[in-house]
Amino acid sequence: MSENSSVAPGVPPAERLLNLVIALVNASVSMTKQQIRRGVAGYGDAPSVEAFERMFERDKDTLRSLGVPVVTVDAGGHSDDVGYRIDNEAYALPPVDLTSAEWGVLALAAQLWGDKALRTDMSRAMTKLRAAGAAQGEDDALAGLAPRVRAVGDAYGPLLDAVTERRTVRFRYRAASTGVLATRQVEPWRIAVRGGGWYLVGRDVDRQAPRVFRLSRIEGRVRVGQVPAAFAVPDHVDVDAALGTAGQERVAVLAVVPERASAVRARAVAVPAGAADLPAPSDRELVAVPFRSVTTLAEELAGYADAVLVLDPPDLRADVVRRLEAAAALADVPRQGGTAGTGEGAEHG
Amino acid sequence: MAERADDRLVRLLGLVAYLDGHGPVPVADLATRFGVSEAQIRDDVDQLWVTGTPGYWPDDLIDFDADAVERGVVHLIESRGLTRPLRLGTREAVALVAALRALLDSAPVQADAERSRLVASVLGKLTAATGEAASAVDVRLGHEGDATVDSGVVQAVTTALVQRRVLRLRYVTASDAVGDRDVDPARLITQDGAAYLLAWCRRAHGRRTFRLDRVLAATVLDEPADAASVARADAEVDVAAAAAAAGGGQAPLVTITLASPARWLAEQLATESVTELTDGAFALRLRVANPAWLRSLLLAAAPDVLAVDPPDVAADAAAAARAALAAYGARP
Repeated sequence: MSENSSVAPGVPPAERLLNLVIALVNASVSMTKQQIRRGVAGYGDAPSVEAFERMFERDKDTLRSLGVPVVTVDAGGHSDDVGYRIDNEAYALPPVDLTSAEWGVLALAAQLWGDKALRTDMSRAMTKLRAAGAAQGEDDALAGLAPRVRAVGDAYGPLLDAVTERRTVRFRYRAASTGVLATRQVEPWRIAVRGGGWYLVGRDVDRQAPRVFRLSRIEGRVRVGQVPAAFAVPDHVDVDAALGTAGQERVAVLAVVPERASAVRARAVAVPAGAADLPAPSDRELVAVPFRSVTTLAEELAGYADAVLVLDPPDLRADVVRRLEAAAALADVPRQGGTAGTGEGAEHG
Repeated sequence: MAERADDRLVRLLGLVAYLDGHGPVPVADLATRFGVSEAQIRDDVDQLWVTGTPGYWPDDLIDFDADAVERGVVHLIESRGLTRPLRLGTREAVALVAALRALLDSAPVQADAERSRLVASVLGKLTAATGEAASAVDVRLGHEGDATVDSGVVQAVTTALVQRRVLRLRYVTASDAVGDRDVDPARLITQDGAAYLLAWCRRAHGRRTFRLDRVLAATVLDEPADAASVARADAEVDVAAAAAAAGGGQAPLVTITLASPARWLAEQLATESVTELTDGAFALRLRVANPAWLRSLLLAAAPDVLAVDPPDVAADAAAAARAALAAYGARP
């Protein structure tokens, strides 16, 4: 962390922050800015009132983000008399009594995040819990498990603040379907991770409807609105419904070359009655698999090329054929412009 | 890089609160507990020693027993009111609770009642201590829509890991070949909506990454896992890179130019580089040792593929696609 260039080398920031915490914890009622500047070690280094103000405001924000409950006390009358203190009732972590096995779980959870900002948040949380004297020993009840969530990028910090404080956000977003970059204004409800991707679920203010945004498609800075509690979050935000990952389960009927696509066969269910009427080549075996997302299954099945034919349902079959047709034209690349492969040309029955 | 001031502050406050409740504690124990070096703990003590309430006379400062510190033991005498551990900040609570919820919901934990109970217990205790702020982030691991993993397989794999025993796998490779192999299991990595077993493969005599939804059957053998093999296999592995590399041999460089909708590929593949082009299009450079894996990838993503280099890679995928279309066309 870079130090404020206006500060003479002397009291390091961590020491100044610690002195401020101790001063405010021990203040009989509260301390005014004047008292802090004159009395708390580190603030006398500020060469001007403005430099002190900047330093103090930033330190106050830092302490609050770390969970230190710095509160203002209106001493009445003049604005000069605004005092600061630490709410000692709200300061302490309630007792957390973890067994050594539970401490092991926590240590594993601490490994989850691949993102630098989240790792920092997590490691501070762990330091505080360690300070609370939780038992250690770390019984390895979850030996060998290694859950991982990949990095999210710079948008996470401002979006999380906006979600927790219910502030509107504004950002440049590249639409998945068209590649067009446009400014979006959103009331953010939830940040979610599904299938390794990071998403924001919220209400698009201009479109007046719930929308999902993939964080990796946000370009540039996220601008957070000034007004806290600017909107209400619905009581029940269904992330999976918004993402379309909770579609109704259906069953696909496939004609598979013997001995092939074992990974698909591994999750096969009984072939539905009536599937026998589907026209299948006699040298193939009928396999039925349950699915929810046409896209996900079509991507997987197209990868098997001629080893797997989709017989039913028609929308899944069309999606696989669309991919194969686009792939058949790959030898003719490079192509011009956006997406190709909408289905013209190749024969299918 | 120097430590951030806010990170250090959290530890300094934590040290005082911990010492206040625990009497004299050896420097080494503090270093272990707070995950830093002994030299760092001594620096921290020196820092605390000059910190206190305004005035900063000796009686105003945090104080330690100097003789004890000489002997390598930290004995707090005066805490200046910092007796209680600091509560979690909102962001810290979010990171912690979201991680525990994701863990609880993951297949390896769900497969075992005892594990689920344990993780649920931690989550309950932490949620009680952090309040309600933590629902802002909602993480699911290993719920990739349709590709479900057999719970018997998960159960066998996790049992083998905990009991350190050899595992016999029936596995289907990305090239769609089925085979049996015995492995010394090292880790179960859950990432990007799928689970992967990292293990020492006794058949291949090397470290291998197995996608759990490609494990057709798993049996825990009586034979103990070989500790040296497990150690050799156990490393921080990028599972995306492992998928592209499977098959061994040399890894030629492939460049795939994709249209904007395929952006997710740039996130989930282990790429050498990503080059941004106009209109949201982009070019991925990958090292791919496994032609079958690359062919499947191109077939799946074909509608968004704008160009492939070298051309024989594109020709290979196109030939496979034509064969498949012919099979559709020949259907009675």
